[in-house]
Amino acid sequence: MAGLELRNIAKSYGSVSVIEGINLSVEDGEFVALVGPSGCGKSTILRMVAGLEDITGGDILIGDNVVNELTPRERNIAMVFQSYALYPHMSVYKNMAFNLELSGKPKDEIDRRVREAARMLELEPLLDRKPNQLSGGQRQRVAMGRAVVRDPAVFLFDEPLSNLDAKLRVQMRSEIKTLHRKVGVTSIYVTHDQVEAMTLADRVVVLNHGVIQQEGSPMELYRRPANLFVAGFIGSPAMNFFDAVIEGGTARTANDLTFPFVSDQQLVDGHKVVVGIRPEHFLTGGALAGEVTFVEPTGGQTFVTLDLAGHQTMVLVSSEQDIDTGAGLSVSAPIERTYIFDAEAGNRLSRN
Amino acid sequence: MTETTAPIDAATASSGGRSERLPTKIYLYTSLTILAAIIIIPLVTTALGGFKTLGELRGNPFGLPSDWQWENYGGILFSQRYWLQMGNSLLIAGLTVFLTLAFSAMAAFAFAHVKFFGSGFLLNYFLIGLMFPAATAILPLFIRIRDLGLLDTYWGVVLPQVAFGLGMSILLFRNFFRNLPSELFDAAFVDGAGYIRFFWSITLPLSRPIIATVGIISFVGSWNSYILPLIMLNSESKYPWPLGIMVYRGEFSTDWQLILAFITLTILPTVIVFFAAQKHIIAGLTAGAVK
Amino acid sequence: MSQTSSISAPRALSARTPAIARRKSNRVRGTWPVLVLFLPPALLLFTVFVILPMGEAAWYSFYNWNGYGLPTQWIGTKNYELIFNNGAFRQALINNGLIILVSIVIQIPLALWIATMVTHRIKGAVMFRLLFFLPYVLADVAAGMIWRFVYDGQFGLVAGIFNAMGMSAPFWLADRQVAFYAVLGVIVWKYFGFHMMLFVAGLQSIDKSVLEAADIDGATGWQKFYRVTLPMLGSTVRLSVFFAVIGSLQLFDMIMPLTGGGPSNATQTLVTFLYSFGVMRMQVGFGSAVGVVLFVICVVLAFSYKRIFMKND
Repeated sequence: MAGLELRNIAKSYGSVSVIEGINLSVEDGEFVALVGPSGCGKSTILRMVAGLEDITGGDILIGDNVVNELTPRERNIAMVFQSYALYPHMSVYKNMAFNLELSGKPKDEIDRRVREAARMLELEPLLDRKPNQLSGGQRQRVAMGRAVVRDPAVFLFDEPLSNLDAKLRVQMRSEIKTLHRKVGVTSIYVTHDQVEAMTLADRVVVLNHGVIQQEGSPMELYRRPANLFVAGFIGSPAMNFFDAVIEGGTARTANDLTFPFVSDQQLVDGHKVVVGIRPEHFLTGGALAGEVTFVEPTGGQTFVTLDLAGHQTMVLVSSEQDIDTGAGLSVSAPIERTYIFDAEAGNRLSRN
Repeated sequence: MTETTAPIDAATASSGGRSERLPTKIYLYTSLTILAAIIIIPLVTTALGGFKTLGELRGNPFGLPSDWQWENYGGILFSQRYWLQMGNSLLIAGLTVFLTLAFSAMAAFAFAHVKFFGSGFLLNYFLIGLMFPAATAILPLFIRIRDLGLLDTYWGVVLPQVAFGLGMSILLFRNFFRNLPSELFDAAFVDGAGYIRFFWSITLPLSRPIIATVGIISFVGSWNSYILPLIMLNSESKYPWPLGIMVYRGEFSTDWQLILAFITLTILPTVIVFFAAQKHIIAGLTAGAVK
Repeated sequence: MSQTSSISAPRALSARTPAIARRKSNRVRGTWPVLVLFLPPALLLFTVFVILPMGEAAWYSFYNWNGYGLPTQWIGTKNYELIFNNGAFRQALINNGLIILVSIVIQIPLALWIATMVTHRIKGAVMFRLLFFLPYVLADVAAGMIWRFVYDGQFGLVAGIFNAMGMSAPFWLADRQVAFYAVLGVIVWKYFGFHMMLFVAGLQSIDKSVLEAADIDGATGWQKFYRVTLPMLGSTVRLSVFFAVIGSLQLFDMIMPLTGGGPSNATQTLVTFLYSFGVMRMQVGFGSAVGVVLFVICVVLAFSYKRIFMKND
């Protein structure tokens, strides 16, 4: 087990630069999620750590060693692939034993370690089966078993749950979390699903267009997003955004909705901003009123789409209240939950 | 390898990954170049040989001609026989392709969509043809063609070629048809279409890839075929080019410079078409194997 | 064509039957026209020109007949005795066996090796692939004639090489001891590209991440090939061997321009034997018997191979 450090990592294909200036420190045993939309570079970074991609610039350190020139094997990492990448012609046992065989470990040690990993992941009854005889969830567990058996310095996960159906995904999520608690290996987990990132990680790193937007604990990213992108990416359903202009200490939209806020910065009247308020932070009763256009009940909560002066706003309401389409509804936004972002640069201007 | 085969990709433009280390590159390029030389040298020396005189050919088989003899090639190009033989080959191949496509597509359609008594047995009946080469029954075939009065006619070559190609073609078409979504048929049925209309208006237009594949296999097979026309044709005026080069060789026995020129000109269309349509040709010829 | 009356009943049926069964049930009026129109052309052609001749071959093989009039001279299994006592036939059998052996032991490993090389990410890989496939597309006759030139004792490339080294040029194709080996060389030259392409397709169908997993598991290049790639290519290899075997039994077009079957029957194959002794001499009974023998060999090989090696493919 060891910590991981990325120093000024850059990647370009020919003259096209896709990743620049990535700096990240991962502590020994920490579970870090790299999250972002497709094409943001998260998989590329993971593959560079694994040694499957060349590093155009910067250094990667595992433990205290610079590993840029080392092959994947020499880096002592293990990886779980999105498509599981199990050897189709080998049994589950052999799949897990393969890397130990290659490194020349004695047969009884191999057997012991494979069976131990199999027990940990409840794979014992499947040891003699071939991958094509397994379900998706079972295959994913074998892929993890293969990684666990190695006792590596770093675990790398490349969107391992994307190919599973929703229910299985939730189940496997908790299995991964349990596994991490048991084994405690430094882990980097790549996903496009922010819910996965939030539930699994100690620390979340949000990426967009090859640049780190923000890193921090899940709740930190939720409560204090550094910019517009993070605010809109983290949290489901997504934050509501209103284009507005600063006027006398409040933000005013084109159709005269006003949002008071707190800020440490001196903002000039006329400064263009974006107001952000999460659906779950609206309180019933208040200055903002409109007509309900959609009601989507989900059981415990109800998603209400409210027309605020032409702006379709998503509000989360407890299902204790009965709301009908077409009815009027008034809400207010607490001042400490009102986020103000610079309209051009996207950075957060309010104090939250 | 299931469903519709994508053409075997002649170009894999995969990005990323580790670049090859230098020693690997050297080993790769050296080996590949040597192998390529073994392929090319016979072909290139054949082409060049046509530009030499016989004496020069003897002394200098590998190098460029010191004096380019254009009349070897010229004589052939301006002769009637070259174009006649090319034309014969084209005609025979064209007829073969057309009939093979038509007959096998129709039969395969019936197998794929219509459930009728004995369809399984009948399909296996056609597949028997895949198991043995045309040469096995060539003598009785000759007798039959003769008795039908088709000896020394184009049909005497075309019809057996089509017949032997049916096994593979029906198999390929049938697999393709089965992989078309069955909802299409349901929709057409609701619209009031019967089998034949469905075949004509929906199945065929969607079948371009497999038509290309089967077409290529038939065409190449017919264009290159030797033993069948050898046995069925007598008149030189009907000879396709494979017979033509054997005759030419027989005539000019040791005048290798002429023979090489003739060979080059006869394989030139093949080489040109191959490089022009490589993706389709490779996909077509190997798809047969994969199925 | 009004189908409205028949829609209601099948609709109810299709609601209950699963999709696969639905496809096979004939709800459409018009089954008979299709069957009557679509099947007979292929059926007729195939029966008349493939199946019947095969049956007739079996029949004629018991006669001594020169093809004119009707076969009248029944000789029982005499043709078969003649065949198996014929030295040229025995040589042909040996030769065909040699071709199969060379295909399996030399050609296929060679094609596999080359396939691994041309699937590396290097410039020009595609061009190499095309080049290697080119001989396969040429007619056997043309290839045979080109190599007849290459091997020629006076004018050929082989002669040129020997002359340049100051030695007298051999004429391999005229030498009974080496002629067939020279022929084997041409066969490999012509066909390896086809097998290479099959392997290229097989290699490309391997999920890249499985090989990356092997990288991470610590496999060296050779270990990756031997323990991951090759087992995953199993079905392609078996297919390749199958084609090599079936193809080798049909060899004729290439032999004729090269050697015509000589010298002294040293390069006979089953089909050239059939042609030289059956067709050229118009011995329909004898030639048919050879055809029957060829057929039996093909079928036995095809069936047993499929059964033994390709059970799970």
